[in-house]
Amino acid sequence: MQEIIIGIGVTALAGALAAVAGAAEDTESNIGSQGDPNSQVQLAPQMGYTHRIYNKAVSGEPPAYTLWVTLACGVAWAFLMMNVNAVLAIIFGTVLATFVQGIYATTAYLGRTASLSKFGQPVFIDVLKSVTTVTMGHAFVAIFTTVTACYLMSTMLHHPFALPLLGIVWGLALGAAGSATGNPYYGKERQYQNQKFGAGVPISASGNIVRYAEAGQRSSIDNGFFTAKLGGPASGLCFGLIVFFELWRTVLFEQVAGGWGAVIVGVIIILVFMIIDRYVEKWARKNYGPYTAEA
Amino acid sequence: MSVKVEASHDGIPHNKVMGMGLILALVSLYIAVAASYAGIQYLAFFGGIAAVGALIWGNSTIKKLCSYGIGTGVPSAGMLAFGSGVIAMLFAAKLAVISPFIVPIAGLIIALIVGLILGWITNSVLNMKIPVMTRSIAELAAVGCLALMGLTVVATGHVTFAEITSINFEFLGVSMNFYDVSYIGAGIIAVSFMLGAIALQHPFNACLGPGENQDRINMLTIECGFLSMIVMAVISFAFVNSIAAWISLIIALIGWYWSYKKYFALSKRDAAAWLDAKPFSDAEE
Amino acid sequence: MSAIAAKPGANAGAFQPVASVIAIILAIIFIGVAYFLGNSGILAGGAMLPAQTLVGIIVGAALIAFGVHFVPVGGAPAAMGQSPGIATGVAMLATGAGLAGLFGGAWAASLGFGVALAGGAIGGGLMMAITCLMVNISYVYGMGIPAASGKVEKDPITGDSQAAYKSQGTEGHGLPFISYVGGVIGGLFGGLGGTLIYIELLDFYNASFPALNIAGEGASALAVGLAGIFAIGMFLVIAVLSAYNITGTIEGPHDPKFKRFPRAIVAAICASGICGLVALLVVAIL
Repeated sequence: MQEIIIGIGVTALAGALAAVAGAAEDTESNIGSQGDPNSQVQLAPQMGYTHRIYNKAVSGEPPAYTLWVTLACGVAWAFLMMNVNAVLAIIFGTVLATFVQGIYATTAYLGRTASLSKFGQPVFIDVLKSVTTVTMGHAFVAIFTTVTACYLMSTMLHHPFALPLLGIVWGLALGAAGSATGNPYYGKERQYQNQKFGAGVPISASGNIVRYAEAGQRSSIDNGFFTAKLGGPASGLCFGLIVFFELWRTVLFEQVAGGWGAVIVGVIIILVFMIIDRYVEKWARKNYGPYTAEA
Repeated sequence: MSVKVEASHDGIPHNKVMGMGLILALVSLYIAVAASYAGIQYLAFFGGIAAVGALIWGNSTIKKLCSYGIGTGVPSAGMLAFGSGVIAMLFAAKLAVISPFIVPIAGLIIALIVGLILGWITNSVLNMKIPVMTRSIAELAAVGCLALMGLTVVATGHVTFAEITSINFEFLGVSMNFYDVSYIGAGIIAVSFMLGAIALQHPFNACLGPGENQDRINMLTIECGFLSMIVMAVISFAFVNSIAAWISLIIALIGWYWSYKKYFALSKRDAAAWLDAKPFSDAEE
Repeated sequence: MSAIAAKPGANAGAFQPVASVIAIILAIIFIGVAYFLGNSGILAGGAMLPAQTLVGIIVGAALIAFGVHFVPVGGAPAAMGQSPGIATGVAMLATGAGLAGLFGGAWAASLGFGVALAGGAIGGGLMMAITCLMVNISYVYGMGIPAASGKVEKDPITGDSQAAYKSQGTEGHGLPFISYVGGVIGGLFGGLGGTLIYIELLDFYNASFPALNIAGEGASALAVGLAGIFAIGMFLVIAVLSAYNITGTIEGPHDPKFKRFPRAIVAAICASGICGLVALLVVAIL
């Protein structure tokens, strides 16, 4: 009984950590403009739209976050082997991972922008200095919370995987969840804020991203404030729910029916989410209505 | 992705880069293997040099492959390389029971064979029909295997299966093997796997564009290699004695700093303009 | 050459009979080699265990390849509401779901073969279910865009008409219900396949370790570590090969590109054959 109570407590904590991680991950990748929306940032100068957006072309979010989280887990493990306190070990791991992340971000920005010299896109050193540190800050939060969740799963819930292997699993899931949920919100709403709300961006508008803000030419730092409105919390909710339900159904129901209890509960949860999705879809069709020709 | 990829036509031909990278990797690995055979732990940093050599080779391969338009992104090629490379590397490490000195060459050959089969599958069964596909995937698998071996040597000082799967302690005259705190048992191979996979595809991906230059990409490759070596050197504190670990770490830091500075200078050379807090001038304003 | 002008149009999806037959023959040869090595004592467990393990690995890889084709991926245009699907790469999203499933399956490995497989499948499906739901919530409540497909007139499951809800100048957006269900099924197959590969390798390594004089408390952790990294590596290889088959984006099971899946299954069978054989040889008794 006590095992289950501890398990539930750890599950709740891991779920909360995962929610924070998801929100920080999406904020970080939007400030640095990483992933699929970055193709527009790359395209804009080629269509004649010079900009001051941070062109952080470090693969996509899933592989990048897998690397940061796994390497933080590995370094944390090394420090744990040297009998360093667990929290301190995780912090050291996260610091090194954040350093690596910052370096990759700067080399990506310099590389891509220098290769766009033909179109007159300048390298903005002040953008490099100001935005890099902000992305590193958010990345620190995302990596630290994910590594802590992995550590809890390894030591308190006795998952057989070693810490770096858990890092690969959850780093990849974090990147995939945050990228899936947050990318369209940033790509459509902020990058193309000048397009009509409530419809996708027409293909003819490619490259014409928003480059000016209230006080003149903007950089991508304000994506952080924008993401915190919906994209960040949605990504956090997504990853938090994934981690929470994955742990919850196992901790509570694994002893029921020789392990099949957890499976049955999992099926029920999937069906519940499917019903919610169908409701959301029907709500949109009813309340938004079909697209009509311009009057 | 709406990014135009154009092969850069000038520069050192791929075969020459491949030769340089391969020789650098093999020579460094053999120095490291010889040192570990002789019981010297201080030459573990040669593994990092080997990883840099393998990455230089691999980066040129990726450049050649992706300029044909494979339809998916560049990071997938890195994952494919290391996914097949880790399997080849572990089998080659196992062959060390015959002799530790055949491990690098065995890894290269096994990875090439596995990569050739994978490349043939991609070209023929999946009908990609790209001329360089089979050879490129074989080369990528070999690069993955050698880079992983290099990073493993930096972390543990060994490449043999016995050494990376168990830590041996003499306790009161009894020799005990601990498997769960070894390089494989603790999952540290996952760290080198991901470090290599991202480092392999990053230089080409980050310098993509009409103005890409081979010397800039190569300098970025060297920088990524040393950055990966920094991380493995920090992890090596748990496996090798602290003086050897400090040597690896300091050499990695120096190598990284040098290559990063040069990369910065090369980017400055190639950029259209280098502005600090100045507005851009729009043609439409 | 432009990276998006990938392949010449007409025959891009065609099945290659000759190459596929050769691939299957190769896979059978690999299984035969495993049987032979087991028989001669180089691989532990007698004649049948290595061959059985390799067959299990191959089946797992085929399931993964099949599952990847269900996952709706829109790529870069999806990030701007220009095409339906999830705005991430195919290989990475499928691997994310599959590894989340592997996490659940590995945890349940001690409870039995069937339970572990089911746990792995549910883990993958659960991750995709939650992710796809949040994607739709982001589109509907964050951007005011209903879900619409660009490839079919009516949703095959719900019968909703799609064309009227597709904004002008785009190919569709969001995740119509068929894409959602496709995503969940893709996660189920991915988790199932990945867990199957992991469990087969784990059992084989645990059976082989005594012959290699590896015993003690840490030995099971070593088996987990080896099986885990091999499972992850093979998952990535199979997912990338399947992504090459899809060439970029796919809307789900209703997309015409979905019909290409037999090619990917054959490719996965052969690729996992050679990779699995080498994975078995890692614990050879030399």
